[in-house]
Amino acid sequence: MTECILLIEDNEQSRYLVTFLLEAHGYTVIPACDGPEGIEQAGRLLPHLILLDIQLPSMDGYAVARALKANPALMDTPIVAVTSYAMPGDRQIALAGDCDGYIEKPINPETFVSEIKHHLRKTGKESPR
Amino acid sequence: MKPPRSSWLVLLFVFLGSPASRVAQAAEHVRVGIYENSPKVGLSESGNPEGIFVDLIEAIAAKEDWILDYVPGTWAEGLDRLAKGEIDLMPDVALTPTRENQFRLHREPVLSDWFQVYTRRVSDVRSLLDLNGKRVSVLERSIQQEAFEKIIAGFDMNIRLVTFPDYRSAFAAVTNGDVDAVIVNRFFGNSHIREYQLEDTAVIFSPTRLFFAAPKNSTRPLLETIDKHLAQFKKDPQSVYYKSLQRWTSEEARFSFPLWLKGTVIGAAVLLVLFLLWSFELKHVVKLRTRELANRNEENAFLYKKLQQYADDLALRVAQRTDELTRTNRELQKAKEDAESADRIKSAFLATMSHELRTPLNSIIGFTGILLQNLAGPLSDEQRKQLEMVRKSSRHLLALINDVLDISKIEAGQLDVKSRRFEVNASITKVVDLVKPLAEKKRLTLRTEIPPEAAMWESDAQRCEQILLNLLNNAIKFTEKGTVTLRADFTADSLRISVADTGIGIKPEDLCTLFQPFRQIDTGLSRQHEGTGLGLAICRRLALLLGGEIHATSVWGKGSVFTLTLPMGVQEKP
Repeated sequence: MTECILLIEDNEQSRYLVTFLLEAHGYTVIPACDGPEGIEQAGRLLPHLILLDIQLPSMDGYAVARALKANPALMDTPIVAVTSYAMPGDRQIALAGDCDGYIEKPINPETFVSEIKHHLRKTGKESPR
Repeated sequence: MKPPRSSWLVLLFVFLGSPASRVAQAAEHVRVGIYENSPKVGLSESGNPEGIFVDLIEAIAAKEDWILDYVPGTWAEGLDRLAKGEIDLMPDVALTPTRENQFRLHREPVLSDWFQVYTRRVSDVRSLLDLNGKRVSVLERSIQQEAFEKIIAGFDMNIRLVTFPDYRSAFAAVTNGDVDAVIVNRFFGNSHIREYQLEDTAVIFSPTRLFFAAPKNSTRPLLETIDKHLAQFKKDPQSVYYKSLQRWTSEEARFSFPLWLKGTVIGAAVLLVLFLLWSFELKHVVKLRTRELANRNEENAFLYKKLQQYADDLALRVAQRTDELTRTNRELQKAKEDAESADRIKSAFLATMSHELRTPLNSIIGFTGILLQNLAGPLSDEQRKQLEMVRKSSRHLLALINDVLDISKIEAGQLDVKSRRFEVNASITKVVDLVKPLAEKKRLTLRTEIPPEAAMWESDAQRCEQILLNLLNNAIKFTEKGTVTLRADFTADSLRISVADTGIGIKPEDLCTLFQPFRQIDTGLSRQHEGTGLGLAICRRLALLLGGEIHATSVWGKGSVFTLTLPMGVQEKP
């Protein structure tokens, strides 16, 4: 069974890039264009991991992460922030909130997939699906 | 202590006052406040009211058939009595906004007054600014103290104000050398300048006009009467007004025999011989001064008029200049605020720009990586070569964005510094391991000379490592063959780490601009040696942030040594 990753990202090129990269390595990617759509998809499809852009229209990534974690069915699903915020403290804000990981944009295509694999393994051991 | 003769006098007036009014119904009583501010107003040694204001009111009283009842006291008591209606007139009052609510003044000013700075006879005080660093005496809790403090604050000067209870002790302090200068009103100043061997300076401020004041709710037309007579007096150079001014504004004129002396001379004829010499001397002086006065009498009235004009002109100019200064101050304050706000805008702009540049770079770097990994299909050699170039350029662009952001963070004070104990050898090993592959690729020897024991130091380890990594990367980048050596040694209060190489070196003329942003690009070296040109600028800013310093020595063509010196501990930002 392929592992399923929900990608919440408003930028079309970024969505295509990450989807292509992950699908090329055998993952199933569900794209969502904004927070509400992502929350709805996550509750319905229960993905193995959620990739979350922080700068989203109408509802920012921090609020989306909060809403996702509020769903008991998603409590153990890792959320990884993918963001081009790079000011001091951005990483801390993301990690102190409801995100389990933080990947800075621009992503490094050589290491991106292995980072995702790492986050999947971390929780996979604790709560096998 | 002098017996309070003045109060006897008041009692006498009170006792005599009522029967007199019964005798002459037309005579009107006018109660006038007296306080000590010679020569404008005050009490003589025998306790009689005297001074310019007294001369003036007595002349008017004689014409109007007023009976004057003088009520002596301090300045504050006088104002209180006037406010309560216990007296009808108070002399020597300047118009201020608070007084305007309590009192009424007449229109024709009696005197123009201002505050002036006096010094010892040989002084270098030419302007207000020459008072910087000096001690200046003023009357305690006076308006000149308040006015002068405002001026000092306006010019940002360092002047020590020493307060005295009365003008005379304030003057004496200058004569004795206890202070350098004194501020008094010009009437007191000019009439006591000789006695205390002082000289006047050109430093003049706070011009005021002085009047008689009456209670606000008084219905008696006293002020109108004063105006009427004063206007007439001012038209006539021989009037009592000008005579009084002449009498009180030149020191010579104030000379007179003390009353007790007259009595003693008459009564003690036996002692005549003893006083003879002194008496001769006094007579001589009186004669001389009387002659002098006679000569000057006529021109004095004219001179006073002239002086009045100058005073008015001066007051106008002081007001204009004060306006200008206020405006300049306001402009400077605004410029300062603008600059600060521009700085905040710059920081916010850089943060936003960095964010906005990352989004397109994400696509460039990401898709280049996908193509180079053959994830979208096989590539020809030429396509691969060109895509490698795109990847290299986009990484360079990212490094530039990161460095510019770093510098702006440091300059905006947004970079946190943490002071923690850390093991120096471990940090050095960590950094050296990171650059080892680069050195091996260029077949360079990478050597460390560090103390064998695990030495602890207190600073921000992460920032130290950032600096060392940058220095090592530079050393390897600019060295084609030979050795790169990292050396660490400790003194009691500083840690010194140097990075030496056997590379191309730096020309002496370039050494001084080495740590400025984008110097590498200026020297034309960047084409051969990739780098953002911001590395050393960041290193120096970080070193300063850690309370340390960084410097370079070099021999062109032989190699360079960069030395980082750090103190024990860092001042953390709150």
